[in-house]
Amino acid sequence: MSEVILEVKDLKKWFPVRRRISQLFKGEKSWVRAVDGVSFSIKKGEIFGLIGESGCGKTTTGKLLMKLLESTAGQIIFQGEDVTNLTPEGISRYKREIQMIFQDPYASMNPRFKIRDVLLEPLIIHKLGAGLEERISMATEVLEEVKMTPPIEFLDRYPHMLSGGQRQRVATARTLILSPTFIVADEPVSMIDLSTRAEVLQMMKEVQQDLNLTYLYITHDLSTARYFTDRIAVMYLGKIVEMGSADQIVDNTLHPYSRALIAAVCEPVTGKVNLIKEVPIKGEIPSAANIPAGCRFHPRCIFAKPECWELEEPGLEEAEPGHLVACRRYQEIV
Amino acid sequence: MNKEQIPVKRDYKPGKIATAQPSRWRDLGVSLRGFWKEFSQIKYGVAGLILLAIFFLMIVFEPWLIPFPEASERWRDISYWDSNPRNAAPGWINWFARQKGATHQYLRDPILEVEEQARFKVIKGTFSYDYRFDLPPTGLSLRGLGKGDLRLTVRLERPDGQEIELYKDSLRRRNEDELKLPLGGLQAASTAFEFGQSYDSAENVKRVNRHMIRPYNIFFARAQEGILLKPEPLPGEYKIHLDVVAIGQDAYIKDPYLIVSGRVFGLLGTDNSRRDIWSGVVAGIKWAMFIGLLTAFISVVIGVTYGVTSAYFGGWIDSMMMRIFEVFVSIPILPVLIVLSAVFKPTIWLLIFMMTVFFWTGPVRTVRSIGMQIREETYIEAAYALNASHARIIFKHMVPQLIPYAFATMALAVPRAIIFEASISLLGFGDASIVTWGQILHDAMNGGAILQGLWWWVIPPGLTIALMSMTFAFIGFSMDKILNPKLKTR
Repeated sequence: MSEVILEVKDLKKWFPVRRRISQLFKGEKSWVRAVDGVSFSIKKGEIFGLIGESGCGKTTTGKLLMKLLESTAGQIIFQGEDVTNLTPEGISRYKREIQMIFQDPYASMNPRFKIRDVLLEPLIIHKLGAGLEERISMATEVLEEVKMTPPIEFLDRYPHMLSGGQRQRVATARTLILSPTFIVADEPVSMIDLSTRAEVLQMMKEVQQDLNLTYLYITHDLSTARYFTDRIAVMYLGKIVEMGSADQIVDNTLHPYSRALIAAVCEPVTGKVNLIKEVPIKGEIPSAANIPAGCRFHPRCIFAKPECWELEEPGLEEAEPGHLVACRRYQEIV
Repeated sequence: MNKEQIPVKRDYKPGKIATAQPSRWRDLGVSLRGFWKEFSQIKYGVAGLILLAIFFLMIVFEPWLIPFPEASERWRDISYWDSNPRNAAPGWINWFARQKGATHQYLRDPILEVEEQARFKVIKGTFSYDYRFDLPPTGLSLRGLGKGDLRLTVRLERPDGQEIELYKDSLRRRNEDELKLPLGGLQAASTAFEFGQSYDSAENVKRVNRHMIRPYNIFFARAQEGILLKPEPLPGEYKIHLDVVAIGQDAYIKDPYLIVSGRVFGLLGTDNSRRDIWSGVVAGIKWAMFIGLLTAFISVVIGVTYGVTSAYFGGWIDSMMMRIFEVFVSIPILPVLIVLSAVFKPTIWLLIFMMTVFFWTGPVRTVRSIGMQIREETYIEAAYALNASHARIIFKHMVPQLIPYAFATMALAVPRAIIFEASISLLGFGDASIVTWGQILHDAMNGGAILQGLWWWVIPPGLTIALMSMTFAFIGFSMDKILNPKLKTR
């Protein structure tokens, strides 16, 4: 449990922005700083949650880990090996070990592929399994693993014949067929009916325990994160602002942004039905092309004081064992 | 989903489903049936399909449809056609025309008398010809097998009792040979003039140009004043006497027969090289189909692959590929093809290759824009996350989505290829070893078909080009209509 499987050091992804002519002459360059220096490490067998509102760079971080995007700067160390720059063979090996479940189960499978083709594709790409029969039996095995029974019934169906929950199970099965060690789950249940969410998460957790997997669970939904993850990192505008165990984050929230996130969780509690919660945050998330000086959260923070924007950006500091926070005033505002 | 609805197969073994592949064909069948249901709603689409079926049947049954089965291979072989009349109109013209033209006839099995002498044989044959037309035949030709020293005389005995000597000559053949003796030419012209002269007025004789005489108009005309200038047909039973003197023991003539060159011939008449137009037009179907389909297929395959590749890679590769594409698009294809054909004298294969070099641009732009949409789909990203190769993503994930569109474009590219081939052939740069409609038109143009009013030489090949193009255009437009619902208002 203690062995670190994945370590990310100061990972950055800056997208170039189309420049204005005046900037072109001056030689200026504009960037959207989607991921702006993110560091964390994930232990083997852990479920690590990455939380933040849309546009904060959490999906970009997932894609950087998946090598779907090239990072601008920083390092990714997987099982003690620097995987930031890999040869094609290295990438092939890496992509067997690390898999991704996508947010939209309706779009993540080719509508013209049957479930059989969806599941066999990873095997064909990585040249696993000898012959069709062995591959099919591998496919039925993983379908059973994700509780799609009887598997033979599903092999010849098309994705559009399945429900959202079933599709996400198939998507999970597709990642499992290569027996990876690490899975990036990018909001796997956000597009699924509330009623089946728990079921799918339960299935994912069982699979994780059965196969001793490690998850990076990307979400904007604190309630599922609390239920599902061991540790949580809260991301805001391309940077981690708070990181700790799930209990620490939820029960002993330190960063004002995390507080706002927790306050925003709706609770269908009797007597509070008509109460619209007041969320302790103001304004909208700024553009990642124009990140505020000082603490990047200060324009929206209800506790902000001049030191927050006059001094340089606060780094992560340890508030209690294993609980990091990037705020100058977390002690004052408790 | 209600789990009880799923019938559970308990006797499942992995091997069993591995052999369950035919379901793929069943799915294809279902989707094809759905497509047909929509297709059958479009009237011109169905018309196109019917035309296509007719063309296909004509290709399959070509040997039984045409009187000259070797038309395709021997189109330019004069000897293959030389028993046909020249510039004859279609046979059915007699049903409508006020003046009936003589039909093309073979006079066989003459009454033969052989008189053997010590040093020679005299063979006398009589052919009878029942002439009941308004326009006389254009000529007679004697055929048969002969050997040795032969003295031949051919005489025409008219219904009014007059006799005209059509031919007199001696031949010498060392071995048995086919005799092809046209009974016309200058000898016949002067005979005809002399024959006419004895009946017509001196004034008319003076006015007629003796070199411009058509001898058979006079041979088959009433013996009266005006025979030279305005011959009137004399119907009745004509007898053609053949007298052969075979000198020597081994000299003989065998199976003689006469060809009466008609004014009308076959279904679509003949051209000035005596070729049967109907045979040529029918033989041309397969070439048009072949050129059209092959060119369309190759160029669409290239175009779709090119467009998808460009869309998939994006960035500078896309920019570069689009610039190359624009260069090809901006070339005026027809003039370049004409010049290339004039320089290289292409075979049909080379011509198809040259056309595909320019035709592949057709689907590129649309395919690229569809491809750019597909590229953004999550399942492409998912495939990439699985380390799928570029080729796999392009050919397994993107191209299959474009196949319906590709078929529609292909159908629309066929007429273009056919018309381009016809244009090049019309100018005389086509492949001379086959017969295409464009080449028939080229010959018609050179032969002055339009000036001479030989419409049967021009209209059939022109019409079939249009019909064949229409067939594929109809099919293509209806497929387009089904596959692009946005265009349904067009």
